[in-house]
Amino acid sequence: MDHLIAGFADVLIPTTLFWIAVGVTLGYVLGALPGLGKATGVAVSIPLTFYLQPVAALGLLIGIAKGSAAGSAVSAILLNTPGEPSSAPTALDGYPLARQGKAQKALKMGLYASVLGDFFSTLILIGLAAPLARYALLIGPVELCAILLFSLTFIGGLSGKSLIKGLIAAAFGVFFATVGIETETFVPRLTFGMLELDDGIALVPMAIGMLAVAEMIIQAGNVRELDTEAEKISDGATRDDRIVTASEWRRCLPVIARGTLIGSVVGILPGLGASVGSFLSYGATRRASKTPEKYGTGMIEGVAAAESADNAVVPSSLIPLFALGIPGSVIAAILIAAFILHGLTPGPLMFRQQPKLVAAVYASMICASGILLMVGYFGQNIFARIIKVPLRLIIPGVLLLCCVGAYMETSNVFSIYVMLFFAVIGFFTRKLDFSFVTFLIGFVIGPNIELTFRQSLQLLNHDAANLAKHPIAIVFILATIVTIGWIGRANTRKAASVRRQRRVRAGGQDNMQIQKGG
Amino acid sequence: MRRANVVSGVVLAVFGIAMLFAIIPWQIEPGPQGMMSPRLVPGMMMAFVTVLAALLVINNLRAEPDLEGDVSPISRGELLALIRIGAIFALSVALFSWVSPLAAGAVVVAGSLLVLGERRPWMILGMPVLLLLALWFLFYKVLGTAIV
Repeated sequence: MDHLIAGFADVLIPTTLFWIAVGVTLGYVLGALPGLGKATGVAVSIPLTFYLQPVAALGLLIGIAKGSAAGSAVSAILLNTPGEPSSAPTALDGYPLARQGKAQKALKMGLYASVLGDFFSTLILIGLAAPLARYALLIGPVELCAILLFSLTFIGGLSGKSLIKGLIAAAFGVFFATVGIETETFVPRLTFGMLELDDGIALVPMAIGMLAVAEMIIQAGNVRELDTEAEKISDGATRDDRIVTASEWRRCLPVIARGTLIGSVVGILPGLGASVGSFLSYGATRRASKTPEKYGTGMIEGVAAAESADNAVVPSSLIPLFALGIPGSVIAAILIAAFILHGLTPGPLMFRQQPKLVAAVYASMICASGILLMVGYFGQNIFARIIKVPLRLIIPGVLLLCCVGAYMETSNVFSIYVMLFFAVIGFFTRKLDFSFVTFLIGFVIGPNIELTFRQSLQLLNHDAANLAKHPIAIVFILATIVTIGWIGRANTRKAASVRRQRRVRAGGQDNMQIQKGG
Repeated sequence: MRRANVVSGVVLAVFGIAMLFAIIPWQIEPGPQGMMSPRLVPGMMMAFVTVLAALLVINNLRAEPDLEGDVSPISRGELLALIRIGAIFALSVALFSWVSPLAAGAVVVAGSLLVLGERRPWMILGMPVLLLLALWFLFYKVLGTAIV
């Protein structure tokens, strides 16, 4: 508690608050623009933080992540085009509300639900991460290696449609992490004689290429469709159409509480992501309702359910990162680079080594929630106009920022080459559904997997029978096998069901043609 | 997607085999005696990729063909965007090395505006100037540092 008070003292100064507000505003705009998500925003902004104080820098990045999670509701409600996939359930009821002239009501409820979900999930992070980290310190290299393998398999299986593709992406992530001079034998690996690769592939240019540049290229390929989606939304005539009434608050508060809980649990589990959280919360709210048939026609509870869960995922996804050093989401994977850059190595030891900085991060997260409310409330009309700017005018600016961001990492044009190389890989992984999320997480935890694997081999004396002395490791190895079997079977069943549905549909069409012909 | 899966599986399997038997032995020395080989983890990952890629090919060859036709996951527009933006970056990198970083930045913005269908001259000329000025202000004035 003392550390947290000291953390607030570090954060509650004008410069830090200014940079958090900049982060939240930037994130809100990026989230509101379809196609520019929080991952793009954070990846592009890391180099901008090189010259900021650690607390301000981390506050800025956390602000971007939080702001974009909330901002994605704006385009979902006004354009029926979610800024991020996790806001898709928001559009189901938010867009009908906007068409009924209740856009401001939907935007306000989206904002309030986002802020509440985000705030309470931050409290869960503060309450859970440190106690979990104490247990994590008891874990040895053999157990850690098994946990890392389990996490990577779990993420690989759940973050895409195909388990095989997810595992391939994970293996490639670990493979690219081995490039550079090997730390034990000092043998260069896969450097092709390039001195720039001796230190390995830098995460920031890689992340910028895979996330931002690849996404911009895909958006550029669909720019006409996206630009024609903007529609005029008129405001309602009465005051009640523009505000959230007391009766709506009473109906929505339990929904927000449930959404926050679902989002927080989903965030803690590595690999599930915000989309799973928001869809689960929306589905649960609909099932619990006395009038489920009205969902999709403009129910304010639908907006509250989706947005509270979507935003609760962001803080709670940092729990595995802080407690175990395992990034559970792509945001967490990118934030690792920023945390390390500013002197905070995520993992159980950070609570002992840097308690003041951890407390400052927590304090900046809480402040970001408050700033998010203010920025969202007062800037709603402006953001609603920004999303109508054509994408063809936004993409060039983002591409320029990507180049500057990648270049600044090493002040060498080689970083731009790395960015472009991974932009091409990112383009194909996205289009062919090879889960770039798993790739990036594999890349980030790759060095740790290799290190713990080496240590495990030595500790086990190269004899698998010695694993019997490490029951936790056995549990996680078994969990990995069960996960592969479970996800593999689920995918096969899903594919079979899709095939059956297609056959039924095709049969129906044939019958109709026969009837028409008759 | 079925055909795309088969093609990508074949490409990845060939890539994995090439890495395992040619690139890794050529690019990574075996390492000193008595220590874990530096080739071990990259080799394991490539072996894993090869096996999974083969599984991907087999699974998709055995799967029933799509009744609605096998639509490519990559549209023509997206492929064109990749090629055009790739060309802009190539030109920009060349300008960075031979002319100046400023010219490279201007080409990234103006070139991508053109590729995306913008034809208003004031926009194509004005936007690079505006963005580069904004970057100069942010880095050199607000953050107090040089980019190049």
